[in-house]
Parts: sequence; structure tokens; C-alpha cells
Amino acid sequence: MTIAGDLPGVVSDITETQDVRPDLMPTSQDLYYRWERQQWSVAALDLADDTAAWTRLRPFYRTELLNALTELEVGEVTVVETLSSLVDRAPTDDDRIYLSTQLADEGRHVRFFQTYLRQAAGISGEGLADSADYTNHFAPELRRVTRAVWAEDDRASWYRAVVYYHLITEGVLAATALRTTRQLARRLPLPALVEGLTNVTRDESRHVAFGMLAARDGVGAGYGGPVLESYLHGLDLAARVLVGPLRKQAVPAVRTALGIRAAQLRGGFDIARDRAMRQLSHIGLPEAVPEAGAVWDRALERALDAYAEHWNTPHPVRAAGALSKGEDTR
Amino acid sequence: MNNEEILTNVRRIIGEMCPLGAREAGPDERIMEDLGYDSMAVVELALVLEAEFELEPIEEEQAIDLVTVRDVAELVEHMVSARA
Repeated sequence: MTIAGDLPGVVSDITETQDVRPDLMPTSQDLYYRWERQQWSVAALDLADDTAAWTRLRPFYRTELLNALTELEVGEVTVVETLSSLVDRAPTDDDRIYLSTQLADEGRHVRFFQTYLRQAAGISGEGLADSADYTNHFAPELRRVTRAVWAEDDRASWYRAVVYYHLITEGVLAATALRTTRQLARRLPLPALVEGLTNVTRDESRHVAFGMLAARDGVGAGYGGPVLESYLHGLDLAARVLVGPLRKQAVPAVRTALGIRAAQLRGGFDIARDRAMRQLSHIGLPEAVPEAGAVWDRALERALDAYAEHWNTPHPVRAAGALSKGEDTR
Repeated sequence: MNNEEILTNVRRIIGEMCPLGAREAGPDERIMEDLGYDSMAVVELALVLEAEFELEPIEEEQAIDLVTVRDVAELVEHMVSARA
């Protein structure tokens, strides 16, 4: 059977996909076979047009893209380094086999981002991680919880790690970054980047589907407590990564442009928030959505405070006075 | 820099940065509809104009619709005169 996600050019962003009825969710075996049908090659990407385009990029777009690609690259490196305990302690053989395919995906993603940054953008990967918000705010926790899977060797630890890994890092942060970066790459245009990000998005859709499947199973098996606790803590950290207190944002002096800029940034926050709330319902914890929304909103405000403190100037969203609250509708 | 020079320079910058390709931008051309600017491009344009004219936020400025090239030039004139 061919599904929409298998077809080149019709890859939905993870954040745009419709929720699937629980009884129609793919199994880990389904996701394995989907992986077999959805192979791609970094070496096959033709970077020539993108390489030429990067030499003509003006500073604003160059900075926007480099910030986004850096966060994505750093995130991919971290998930490559932290998946093995989840593979090893997977609940079933089908889960373990599926997660082995994911390990290959994550390696390919690192190769893609590093190759693209080096060959098309002319950027060495050296030192990229140091200034990334993911490195500073989220990666230490992901490392801690995935190490705990080895150390504690119990099912609760495995589900906690799945939450930080699949649901927050991939389902919220990567999904949002891939969508906004792909939109930017399309408009410039950077065809190889669009193609690569489309392939990565397709892979990430499988990863997030596995995470939701696993977390839902965990909730059903009585691990709802650790899953929710991890989810709320993960959201707190994710909001900080998304705002990026260490990443200087352009704050236009022209008020009309400032309003547009704030709306663009707030749009990214809203995509992530919406995604986070939908996932929570999807894994069987809809009653926790209001609490999760409140956690997210408070974390966002704190991150905006941290930005102002770090740079001694308000974040564009604050400067525009336009931080709106999302709705807990799902 | 007088207002005529500001308009000339704004037209030059908007024309050079035109997403449809560099071109001469007439004062009454609409930035989005005629010249292909989208929201990202408008933000970039604002940042370039700020650097070019050393603009700073002014208290009394309200967010206004910047429809035409002339609208942009008039805003720049206003911000330059407020700075002086």
C-alpha cells in the first residue's frame, strides 16, 4: 500500500499532519517497513545551486539560516549519541528493530547537516555546538535520562527517555525548526536544502509516530505518572530552547517591521505549543493539557526574561508587546 | 540629507533588494503587490534601512501600513528628522 508520506514532494510537515485515531496508529513493525520504502542519500543531493546561492545571501537570511541549521545539526548530533540505550532496552523485538533503523536515520541527518553546512554554506562544524541553545538547555537532560535507562534498567526510565527524545526533542523542537527552516529555504530558494529538509522531515515523522505509540503504550501500562512528569519538564526546557536566550535577534527600529518580526517568531512558538498539546492528548493524557499549557506559557515568559537579562534588551516579541497566549483546544 | 535624497536612496535600496530581481522602484509602486516583498523581506528591508540611515526607535512612532515606496521614504524622513 502506498501512503501519502511515501510520495516525494507530498511530505507534510510533522506539525501539519492530522492526528491519527489510536486504533489506526502504525505499529513499530509498520514503521520499519515504511523506513525501507523511504530511503534517501546525502551523497545524491546536488549542492551546486545552493552553494552559489549562499554566496549571494544577504546577512539577515544568512544569520537566520545559520542559527536554524546550527540548532538542527547540534540536536541531531546529540540524538545520535543518546539513542543506543533506548534501542538496547526496548520493550519488544519489533521496537528494537525499528529503533535500529532510527539510529541509521539520525546518523544520516548528522551527515546531511554537516555536509550542507560545510559544502554549501562554507561553515566548519567546529564550535557550532558551544553557542547552541539546545546544547546548553536541553542536551544535558537528554543525556541524563538516556544514561538512566542503562543505570536504572526499568521500564519507567525507558518511557521517560522516550518522552525527552521522541516527543520533545523530535516532536516539538525539531518539528518546529524543520517547518520554519523549510519555509525559508523554499522562498530563497535553496533547492538542495529543501530536498534534504524534506527527507529529514519524512524520517522525523516516523520517529515521532514511534514516540507517540510508545508513550501511549506506557500510559496504558500504568506509566502515566513518569510520562507526564517528564513531558512537563521537557516542555519547560523546550520553551527555553525555542526562545533562545543566547541567540541575539534582530529588533527592527521601524515599529511596523518589529510587529512583523514578532509575529514571525511568535508563529514558531505557537506551532510548538500547538504540537505539544496535541501530542499530549494523543498519548492518552488529554486531562493534562491545561497544566501543560500553563507550564509552557510560564517557561516562555521566563525564557524571554532570560533573553532580556542576557542581552540587556527585550526580545522582539516583548519589544512588540505582542506575546499572545495559545488556546488549549485539543 | 534632504527629503529628496532620502527618497532617492530608499528607491535605490528597495529596487536593489527587490525579491523579483533588482530593478528601479518607482515612488508609487506597492512594495508587496508590485515588487514582491513578503513579510520576511520587509523585515530585512527595515534592518537595511536602519543601517543605511542610522535609524533608531522613536517613541511617538505608530505601526503603520507601509504600502508604497513613498510611504517607506516618508517614514525614514520622519525618523531621521526625529533623531536630529
